Amino acid sequence: MSNGGGKTGRQLEQPGTWRRRKVGGGDDYARAIAKIAVAQVCEGEGFQAFQQSALEALSDVVVRYILNVGKSAHCHANLSGRTECNAFDVIQGLEDMGSVQGFAGAADVDHCLESSGVIREIVHFVNDAEPVMFAHPIPRFPVVKERVPNPSFLQKGEEPPGEHIPAWLPAFPDPQTYSQSPAVNGRGTEPRAVKFDQERESGKGEWPALNLQQQMVSNMFEKSASIDPADAKAKRVAAEGNPFLAAPLKIEDKEVASVPPPAKLFNDEALDNPVVENLVENEPISALETFAPAIEAMKSTICDSKEDQTKFCANEKPTVRFKIGIKNKLLGKSIGLIPQKEEHEKTLPWFAMEDEKDDRKRRAEKILRESLENPDQLVQL
Amino acid sequence: MNQNPQSSEGRNDDDSALSDFLASLMDYTPTIPDELVEHYLAKSGFQCPDVRLTRLVAVATQKFVAEVAGDALQHCKARQATIPKDKRDKQQKDKRLVLTMEDLSKALREYGVNLKHQEYFADSPSTGMDPATREE
Repeated sequence: MSNGGGKTGRQLEQPGTWRRRKVGGGDDYARAIAKIAVAQVCEGEGFQAFQQSALEALSDVVVRYILNVGKSAHCHANLSGRTECNAFDVIQGLEDMGSVQGFAGAADVDHCLESSGVIREIVHFVNDAEPVMFAHPIPRFPVVKERVPNPSFLQKGEEPPGEHIPAWLPAFPDPQTYSQSPAVNGRGTEPRAVKFDQERESGKGEWPALNLQQQMVSNMFEKSASIDPADAKAKRVAAEGNPFLAAPLKIEDKEVASVPPPAKLFNDEALDNPVVENLVENEPISALETFAPAIEAMKSTICDSKEDQTKFCANEKPTVRFKIGIKNKLLGKSIGLIPQKEEHEKTLPWFAMEDEKDDRKRRAEKILRESLENPDQLVQL
Repeated sequence: MNQNPQSSEGRNDDDSALSDFLASLMDYTPTIPDELVEHYLAKSGFQCPDVRLTRLVAVATQKFVAEVAGDALQHCKARQATIPKDKRDKQQKDKRLVLTMEDLSKALREYGVNLKHQEYFADSPSTGMDPATREE
């Protein structure tokens, strides 16, 4: 019967997914030592190499042999009414393990254990075989920490505090560890609660929380009132005298800044106005710079709407109330820091302005495309 | 029930022989370490502070392994001897004694251990060899 030319078991599985089945559980260290010992014994018998599976199988058999000898010896000790095993229990255990193959004197029921055939065979083996030490020095395992029990009254040389307490029980710890406990004071209340009461009476407990809330509110107002760096730059440039880069007017103001006529149409005026001359002759203006005022106007409308929202907050001082509790971790609870007003709701929302922005964007993009397609016209401007 | 004086003398001799043997075990160092034997004996419920008994179990276990390995070696040599001449010439180059599952299962069967192994298990026959001498 053949395997049909298929691949073997280990080759069929994916690499890295094959796991060896553990027989003893978390006993890998002991089994590794057993494997080395078995390999040494087999090498002493004359083997030069081993199959991995054969070595594992033999080491497993050896482990089970030791376990069965121990179980049998323990069982014989229990039958004799003892908990600790002696040499005769071990010999009986070895006889039980060798009963399958047989040993000298096994037929005699009343044979003496001291002159057992198993012992004689072991004696012959010890005399004939050369001792081969284990390859590596190994520590005693598993490592178990010895628990040091508390000394009893007798060991300490003290007398128990009461007659009902026997002297062999472990002694009490020092009285300092349990008589004066800082957790409970005379009134039976927690010291933390007493502290809160004292702070509430003196009024110290409220100030830090108040200061914290005020700082938070003032920070909010400072952030809203702070000037945008782009606006500051625009103002600075406008002060220098460039009308094209000046800050745009608000929506309410209908006045439009006067722009000088193009240099192509009026050559005389081009000489009088140095700004236009620079733009036309020295450097051709870029498309982004051309539409900078329109973009700034869009930004300013957004900023104005935000400023309107925060104006009334700066005018009114928010009321802050605190409720100090003993058991609650939160000392303060702020109520109504930012009051809701009807005026606040009347301000133009963000999404209502999107239609206007879309139209402006479309126009700006159209002009940009035209200017990029024929840059000669830009230079002529 | 009167005991014969000869039998009592014989028992005394056996007793002294056993105690002498247990004492001599302290000088003999078995290959199977005492720590390993103590670990598994404690696992089985065996309680004894006497190190000589642990050493006795270690020696008995080593004897068992040596007997099994010796039987497996005989099976291995017998199997190599029964190979035909044309194949024997090829094996003269690499005449190594390898402990295989086949020989081990035959040897353990005599000791009441029925060892089952997979028929087509791909096991490396060069396990335990020096890496320089491997031919794979």
